[in-house]
Amino acid sequence: MSEAWIYAPASPAASETARLLAELGFTPHRVEANGALRPRPDARQPALAVLAGDDWADVCARLRDDELLCAVPCLVTIDQEGLETGEVLDGHELIVRPFTAAELRARIARARATTHGIEPGDVVRTGDLELNLATYQVTIDGVPIDFTHMEYELLKFLMTHPGRVFSREALLSAVWGYDYYGGARTVDVHVRRVRAKLGQEHAARIRTVRSVGYRFDA
Amino acid sequence: MTSHADYVLRIVEERRVRFVRLWFVDVLGILKSIAIPASELEAALEDGVSLDGSSLEGGVRGHERDVVAHPDPTTFQLLPWRTDAVVGRMFCDLRLPDGTPFAADSRQALRRMLGVAADLGYTFQVGAEIEFFLFAVPEGDGPPVPLDDGAYYDLTPLDVGSSFRRRTIEHVEGMSIPVKASHHEVAPSQHEIDLHHTDALSMADAVTTFRLTVKEVAGELGVYATFMPKPLEDVPGSGMHLHLSLFRGDENLFAGDPLSELGQAFLAGVLAHAGELCAVTNQWVNSYKRLVSGDEAPEHVTWARHGRAALARVPVARRPEAARVELRQPDPSCNPYLTFALVLAAGLRGIERGYNLPPEGEGPPLPESLREATDRFDASELARETLGDRMCDWIVANKRREWGDYRRAVTEFERRRLLRLL
Repeated sequence: MSEAWIYAPASPAASETARLLAELGFTPHRVEANGALRPRPDARQPALAVLAGDDWADVCARLRDDELLCAVPCLVTIDQEGLETGEVLDGHELIVRPFTAAELRARIARARATTHGIEPGDVVRTGDLELNLATYQVTIDGVPIDFTHMEYELLKFLMTHPGRVFSREALLSAVWGYDYYGGARTVDVHVRRVRAKLGQEHAARIRTVRSVGYRFDA
Repeated sequence: MTSHADYVLRIVEERRVRFVRLWFVDVLGILKSIAIPASELEAALEDGVSLDGSSLEGGVRGHERDVVAHPDPTTFQLLPWRTDAVVGRMFCDLRLPDGTPFAADSRQALRRMLGVAADLGYTFQVGAEIEFFLFAVPEGDGPPVPLDDGAYYDLTPLDVGSSFRRRTIEHVEGMSIPVKASHHEVAPSQHEIDLHHTDALSMADAVTTFRLTVKEVAGELGVYATFMPKPLEDVPGSGMHLHLSLFRGDENLFAGDPLSELGQAFLAGVLAHAGELCAVTNQWVNSYKRLVSGDEAPEHVTWARHGRAALARVPVARRPEAARVELRQPDPSCNPYLTFALVLAAGLRGIERGYNLPPEGEGPPLPESLREATDRFDASELARETLGDRMCDWIVANKRREWGDYRRAVTEFERRRLLRLL
């Protein structure tokens, strides 16, 4: 189940947002945004961050600076008064309270599209390397390359977050979660397997950044 | 993230997979496979597939006739060498209908031992250098025919070997097993392929997959491959050198100069128990013909920094995370699951009881024959604790039977020496 984290103090508005998100199939968690960015210290990234407090601009900035949360789609909820008096930044998907589940669904889709540049069903492409997010198929020049599940998830994460360096710990928690087995070496092992299957030209796109981690060069 | 089973079902649909092979090994490490049609896959992932336990090597008792193979969806992989129909495979765990582990399941025996290590905060990493021979298919019952006289690292033109190695590496890497290096070995027709280290369970699956892949590729080229420890009398046999290390998180616990204290205690444990584990690491009558030949095969339980005759070598690691112990005793026809489980158990015992590493180059001889090895294994408290009495008793019975058959065999050696003389 995809998690949605709601950054807001406890309030009827926050509860209503949580209810609508649950209706859309998310598991909502509220986060008191007064320090921690996560509902639990060991939580991975959610599928969506909803910013419902007055301090949303500040939370947005902090999310951008967090290695694991920087790529989470953000949706800012604001009321009419906030819209008139507050500062509205470009590049944030906004929804004005009160709203319906249908409107929320549409705004979430837009937030995702803004963040990733992709939508479910889309194909991520780098040269002749293609990864289809809907069918889990990876092809090079149209020829299928068959991955095990975790190899696929790792490649998907890297291809959908190009140009950014991720530490092995970050990849481990983003791709495997915390029920992994084998420690951070698991990441190296899987990178090696994925590279071996991709062949020389595309393998070079997964760059080892010495003593930091890995980066995918699109 | 999608669940593992959903991913498998989706790939099977998208890639139009016709059959899925469910793989497991018997107690000797021999690969067994049952194929199910794609339409049965969802049920197999949910409930497993029933097998007739009495057909499995491993000492099944009357009430254990029903054994259920539960596929491990994280190991789902399409076979790269089939082109006529798309076929996938998954490794399985074997359980009884009530869900308890089947006593003769090697994969779970290793998993259990890795769990013990995990409780202590360790992950066990293994790399493998695997040697094998390629032979031309002989006419009738003739002796094996080497394909070349290629010497160590030779690049022979018209060498079936090099196109063989290229194709093998392609297929092996297609099965998620990255290859570190490959070369022609000392003996004619002998090859070595080195697999990158990974966690022990993946490596045991990898060794099993590798042996089949090599045989498939050899078949495609009209030759055959063997992992028999000593197929030719006058040339070195085939070993499987294991590179072992323990990690805690990202930290290699063996890193030191040349080995940390913990690494030394681990190695001391492996050495102290090496003799009693031979019935698994060197499990055939033929294995002992490799161990007696000198060359690169160990005859004594020794360790060394340099040289190639010791049972264990401590290579100089260029980086701390590459610190390791190279174990040169096992041969490539062993059961890798049980071998890794027992070697890990021996090493952990060395750590737990603070064994001292003996001086470099000094140590007792290895068992000289399968018979001696079986006696020592039978009496090994470590083996019984690690694998359980059921599995140990079965191995002992199987090995005594093999020795009995061997004692009755009249060999080429006897005929050569005695037929005319006497």
